[in-house]
Amino acid sequence: MSAIRYIVTLLLLLGIGSVEAQNATQQQYEKAYQLYQQNKYSEAAAAYQQLIDQGYSLPELYFNAGNAYYKSNRTGLAVYNYEKALRLDPGHEAAAHNLALANQRVQGFTDELPLLFFQKWWQQWEHLHSPNGWAIGSIFLFWILVAGILVYLLAERFATQVLRVGIGVIGALAVIYSFMSVYTWKTAKNHDIGIVMNSGIKAKPGPDPGGKDLFELNEGMKVAVLDATEDYCKIELADGKTGWISCNEVKRL
Amino acid sequence: MMVSQVKIRKWGLALLFCLSIVACAKAQEFRFTTNVSSTRVAQDEPFQIQFMLENAPNVSSFQPPALNDFEVMQGPSQVQGQSIFNGRRSEYIALIYVIQPKRVGNFTIAGATARVNGNIVRSNPVTIEVVKSPHGAAQAAPSSPQPGFVPRRAPGQVDEEVSDGILRKGEDVNTKLRKNIFLKVDVDKTSLYEGEQLTATYKLYTRLPTNSSVTRVPAFKGFSAKDVELPNPPQATTERVNGQLFKVFTIRKTLLFPLQSGTLELDPVEVDNQVRLVKLVNDNNRKRPRDIFEDFFNDPGFRDPFSDPFFDDFFNRPEVTYEDVPYKIQSTPVKITVKPLPVDTRPLSFNGAVGNFSMNATIDKTSLTTDDALTLKVVVAGQGNVNLLNSPKINIPGSFEKYDPKITDNIDKNSNQLSGSRQFEFALMPLEAGEHTIPPVEFSYFDPAAQAYKTIRSKSFTIKVSPGKQNKQVKEDFSVDKNVLIPVRKAPLNWVKNTGFIIGSFWYWLLLLIPVLALVAGILYRRKIHYQRVNADMLRHRYANKAALKRLELAARYLKEGKDRAFYEETSRAVWGYLSHKLQIPFADLNKQLVQDRLASRHINGQNTHQLFELLDNCEMALYAPMHSNDRMQGTYQQAVKVISQLEDELKTKKELI
Repeated sequence: MSAIRYIVTLLLLLGIGSVEAQNATQQQYEKAYQLYQQNKYSEAAAAYQQLIDQGYSLPELYFNAGNAYYKSNRTGLAVYNYEKALRLDPGHEAAAHNLALANQRVQGFTDELPLLFFQKWWQQWEHLHSPNGWAIGSIFLFWILVAGILVYLLAERFATQVLRVGIGVIGALAVIYSFMSVYTWKTAKNHDIGIVMNSGIKAKPGPDPGGKDLFELNEGMKVAVLDATEDYCKIELADGKTGWISCNEVKRL
Repeated sequence: MMVSQVKIRKWGLALLFCLSIVACAKAQEFRFTTNVSSTRVAQDEPFQIQFMLENAPNVSSFQPPALNDFEVMQGPSQVQGQSIFNGRRSEYIALIYVIQPKRVGNFTIAGATARVNGNIVRSNPVTIEVVKSPHGAAQAAPSSPQPGFVPRRAPGQVDEEVSDGILRKGEDVNTKLRKNIFLKVDVDKTSLYEGEQLTATYKLYTRLPTNSSVTRVPAFKGFSAKDVELPNPPQATTERVNGQLFKVFTIRKTLLFPLQSGTLELDPVEVDNQVRLVKLVNDNNRKRPRDIFEDFFNDPGFRDPFSDPFFDDFFNRPEVTYEDVPYKIQSTPVKITVKPLPVDTRPLSFNGAVGNFSMNATIDKTSLTTDDALTLKVVVAGQGNVNLLNSPKINIPGSFEKYDPKITDNIDKNSNQLSGSRQFEFALMPLEAGEHTIPPVEFSYFDPAAQAYKTIRSKSFTIKVSPGKQNKQVKEDFSVDKNVLIPVRKAPLNWVKNTGFIIGSFWYWLLLLIPVLALVAGILYRRKIHYQRVNADMLRHRYANKAALKRLELAARYLKEGKDRAFYEETSRAVWGYLSHKLQIPFADLNKQLVQDRLASRHINGQNTHQLFELLDNCEMALYAPMHSNDRMQGTYQQAVKVISQLEDELKTKKELI
């Protein structure tokens, strides 16, 4: 228990300690906004990108960066940033709308199938907490569980039916939280989805530049990376076509 | 493929035609000329020399020059005649010799002299180059016709003037072919810029009747070629080379645009000829000495017995025959120096156009909805490599979808300088509503005449796009205007850096490890308590056993010594002592009933009590009715130990429970 409190205070302290840094960052964020308003889209995109590169990973930031890239005519990066925003927050409607708009510029864009109702539920459940939230929750529940078990074992006076049921419920929750923390961690670490960054890329039947051309990929296409060698990636399109292209052409989410 | 047809006619007739044409050209002018059939001859090759006096009114003497370095094979034969051409009459007298050089070298034959109207006139001197006779190896003319070669003979254009298809006596076939058929490549320039136009003409020169086919056409490596259409069947022109008339056929005329710089080579063209030569077969029995008078009185047409097969057949004179000689010729390759276009001054919009161009860019509408399409039309017109023009680069803003241009060509045919126009039509689909500007279209070309790049720039276009009713590509309806980008926002954010994942980190494992350790510690503690409890029972039991053994120590000694009476006494005393001690009954008051009551009050009864009294009874019985038995003593001893141990246990546990 005390450890969690320690972590929470540590995070709070970090937050308070960086209030000034926060102000500076917010200023830079607003400067990028000004640049966008002055139609200096490339500069605005660079400013947003700088913030992203500093390690801020916020859906709203990715959304703004996507807009700036869209306006400066870099469809691939625009799609990438919108997708990134949606990955962090699937309910970001503005990003979803602008992504649809950006996808209109993608030549040969094939729409993905919409999610089924249970997939949507699962997605909402998945994003109930951030991966770290799930992890903290699982630790918290684990502590409660252990405390309950200890009470049950050592203090025979409290070894009642109510405590047993309580331990069972907390145990089940702890298992669910642990599973979700590992699952969301794995999902967040998974970089198997990528965006194609250049147009006119020919997909080959094997990891070899000499093969015949199967189909053409254009900037902004979303592909799943199935397999990869050092230089070549096997990609799959939304419509099921697979082929090999150079890994440099795909920016992974 | 080009086929040349030349038909043989009477040689004399040919001469007549020749004369008449010359007469026509020069009207009734007086002319005195020297003509030779060839100015370059082999040492043993006979050739013809002719001194011709035209329109000379009063010829009193006609003196040929000294032919010291030559051997006269035939002649002199004198030809006199007249021709009427276009109503004009001309007369001529000619002296003809067939001579053969004696030595190798350059010889000048002085002109003939004649006295005309009392004045002495002289014809032009002629220089003859005599080379060593190339007998044998040097000649590489093919001896048999090429397979697959299909001669085609059609009655075609005849040009008697240049026909020379008679193989005279002593004449070498190969030399004759070499002198009378050759190929030539004409280029209008040999040094030019990359992309500049070059006109190459491949021509066949012939003086012989030949049936020719082109067997190899040049590939023009490094060039973009555009052929000029040639008339079919090919039209011949005449051209004078070295004083001799040749029939000239254009095999190929091509407009070439070099695609790379450096020294490029125009490949040779290869032509297979089937030359029809007339040959004397049987000339020794028919040959007559030719004197001037006979020649003089004969019709020119009759005069030459070698020349006309028709006449030969007609008069049944089979000394003349045809021979089709295959002859393969190749043009000499031409080297072209291509200069690269200057790099340092090259504009960004340069796209490979070389020549002199103009450009015009137009759009079909200035306001439209997102449902409509816009057409941007760019027309490039002028002289130069129109057929190689690339689409000018247009910076279409991202709010439009650009499709590949539709290209329409309008190129003038058969112009010596390639010219025309190329039109690029770009279809643009507006994706976003609003006012958009298409930047100016820029087109650059290199002007080889000015040796500089030139850039043409159109004006920029402003287009107003209003939102359309429906958009084909958007299936979902968004609450905001569906074609308008949701703009960026600046609401303050919680600027927390991405610190990485807790799961898998040191803290995660540590925080998981702490409760696990606590749990382990708890379990261990619990187990220790339990162990201690179980262990206390065990110790007590061991103690009880020990107490019993201690009390029966003496009894055990008697048992060993075999003193049965002492043994039973001692055993009995030990048990009674134990009971007195444990149940806190004074030794004097001890009796079975009291012991039983006391034990019952401590909830000890049943098996243990029964065994106890049995043991006491056994001891008493042995005391009063002794019967020596070691086995029995042993059994009694063990029973005593067991009973005391059990009682000890029972007493301890029961005491605790109370």
